[in-house]
Amino acid sequence: MPSTQIPPITGAAIDPPSLRPPIGDAVIERIDPQALRARLEALKADGFTMLLDLGAVDYLTRKPRFDVVYHLLKLPARAASVSEVGTPVRMRILCGVDDGQALPSVMDLWTSADWAEREVYDLFGIVFEGHADLRRIQMPYDWEGHPLRKDYPMRGPERERSPRPAFANKSNVVAGTPPSGRTLAALQEQVKRVRAQDDKTP
Amino acid sequence: MTMSTTPLTPEIVSQDGNAMVLSMGPQHPSTHGVLQLLLEIDSENVVKAEPEIGYLHTGIEKTAEGLFWTQAQTVIERMDYLAPSSNALCYALGVEKLLGITDQIPERAQTIRVLHMEMTRIASHLVWLGTHGIDLGAISVFFYCFDLRENILDLQEATGGARMHPNYVRVGGLNGDLPDGVLAQLDALIEKFPGRMRELRGLLQANPIFQDRTIDVGVLSPEDALGWNVTGPSLRASGIAYDVRKAFPYCGYETYEFDVPTRTEGDAYARFLVRLDEMEQAMRIVEQARRRLDRPGPVMIDDPKVAAPPKETIALSMEALIHHFKLMSEGFRVPPGDVYQAIESPRGELGFYIVSNGENRPYRVRTRPPSMYNLQALKGIAPGNLIADLVVMIGSLDPVFGEVDR
Amino acid sequence: MAVSPGGFMLARLDDVARWAQSSSVWPLTMGLACCAIEMMSVTSAEYDIARLGSEVFRSSPRQADLMIVSGRVAQKMGPVVKRLYDQMADPKWVISMGACASSGGIFDNYAIIQGIDTIIPVDVYVPGCPPTPDGLLYAVNLIQQQIREGGRGGILARS
Repeated sequence: MPSTQIPPITGAAIDPPSLRPPIGDAVIERIDPQALRARLEALKADGFTMLLDLGAVDYLTRKPRFDVVYHLLKLPARAASVSEVGTPVRMRILCGVDDGQALPSVMDLWTSADWAEREVYDLFGIVFEGHADLRRIQMPYDWEGHPLRKDYPMRGPERERSPRPAFANKSNVVAGTPPSGRTLAALQEQVKRVRAQDDKTP
Repeated sequence: MTMSTTPLTPEIVSQDGNAMVLSMGPQHPSTHGVLQLLLEIDSENVVKAEPEIGYLHTGIEKTAEGLFWTQAQTVIERMDYLAPSSNALCYALGVEKLLGITDQIPERAQTIRVLHMEMTRIASHLVWLGTHGIDLGAISVFFYCFDLRENILDLQEATGGARMHPNYVRVGGLNGDLPDGVLAQLDALIEKFPGRMRELRGLLQANPIFQDRTIDVGVLSPEDALGWNVTGPSLRASGIAYDVRKAFPYCGYETYEFDVPTRTEGDAYARFLVRLDEMEQAMRIVEQARRRLDRPGPVMIDDPKVAAPPKETIALSMEALIHHFKLMSEGFRVPPGDVYQAIESPRGELGFYIVSNGENRPYRVRTRPPSMYNLQALKGIAPGNLIADLVVMIGSLDPVFGEVDR
Repeated sequence: MAVSPGGFMLARLDDVARWAQSSSVWPLTMGLACCAIEMMSVTSAEYDIARLGSEVFRSSPRQADLMIVSGRVAQKMGPVVKRLYDQMADPKWVISMGACASSGGIFDNYAIIQGIDTIIPVDVYVPGCPPTPDGLLYAVNLIQQQIREGGRGGILARS
């Protein structure tokens, strides 16, 4: 068998999907952002009733930087048996988009795009124009940065500065010490005292 | 740290007239985890429901980018924690496709994978049934379900070493063959199952209270189900028999005999029935897989670049030692490319879009989380129902928040 | 405690109170992640936490004595956990269940709080990913022991 130990690809132009013949898991198409909306409308009319997934990949040094990936599935929009469903066509649409560039929302075509687009916006910072309610979905609303970008540090930019979240200090309870204020040493001392007393009482 | 201390009150739900905004969760016994629902209600009726997720966002996709291909499986397994092995299998199948070794996986490994998957499916549906029962006030179902689930977890513990996250399925096959005694344990389970299933059906299926609470509640039409991207049992309860095991078979599912249970009502009761039927079909597959397990054989691909050589050869062969060291210290490399791999997890189509740039770590692992899309349908089916029915609807969609939020 | 010849049982009020208190530690229903499923297993017939008097899972923090932080705590969930802890009435105890709650576990990343002891005080840590139900039962046992031995939170705490 051929060795799987292929030397790593170096250099700026990392674009794995273009480097290798597709594996045959789906019909793959690459589309420009301008043509995206029209193509997806045509596909929807063609019977791709399901937008299975919508995700993004960050190729940090490539131009355009991001790939937004649409996975479509052609299923009959009515009750159908196993043989009627058969092996539905899978389609994968890759759309290169640059930092700061917006994509048209497809929420009106497939309602499920709602959360998927919000997630891509939250984690990658790609804006979808025409989305009714584009706000963060996974991270807190006041979070800064988009965590799944390749230049976002794994542990988050703030972690090194303060291991303890700020809200921990904002309550009447001081974290780390019991509400009674007694420390472990005091506790052990108390246990010892109680035991000594117990020994004395008959 | 950038973290909000104020409770979440965004102006998502408009407030006019008699409507009132109610926040349900994220700590609520019936939300099956950390789901917050912002409800706009008019007396007892839900006018609008806005699920608020992200309370369990774990950054699994980001963490996986920093780990070796094999190590990444450990974190990925913790997504859908009711069916951990199905995450691991889906990811492993995807990586195998990228490596081009899909047809070299030993047959016995595939059989044990199928066995494992179906057992996880039963275990997962048991947790769903138990909690769904509790939500509706039928406490005893929970005890029946968890008793049976313990038997399955015992089997998992015996094979993989851990009750919940065995990390047993690996890229290239399995982490070791079934140990002695497991088959006898499995036979006992196969024997116990039908009786227990009858009891479970007896407890709920014809129960008038249960029927009252679930029939015609949360109806999803086939068109809506597709629009909301619902898959799995919830889609099949709306009449569309889309099952990845039949449509895009993997691990040799085409060689097993099983039916895809469907209903056409699309309500919570239909989803309940589909899942119960599915458990029986899963057991049918388990029985068939059990019969194929009498023949011994290898369970890991014979390729030292992907699979560690057997332990006993390491002391004898220099080559084996080097392969072992290389695999453990820097992992294997995967040819550049991208792949989408899907399997039928207990919740629906679980998919992984994996991108490799030829390194020993995944460049990007994107999950298609079935729970997230299924849960999103709540926005469509909740309005117009009573608050009390929300609990039924959430339960019948069976979300797992490890997967919704990842 | 000592039984007198007349059949009377003599004990200090303090001991009786602690005994009663330690036998009815009610946990808060708060499932977070994988560990929550094992927390549910604890109530099942196989493990039966009712033997320890802790089967009464309370959904309201006002009625709960014990918070079992079962699983990873995300940045978004952190304030919620903190608030729930603040809402619980004294005396209260916290079990940090599993590696993620105790230290962040395998998720050393931007999204997970690296150990809940950075936000709330913890009494007992349970190792494991997830810990077995036996592990959690042992942790409840330790809490009980702590109460009986005069640890913090006793009804008639002596100074």
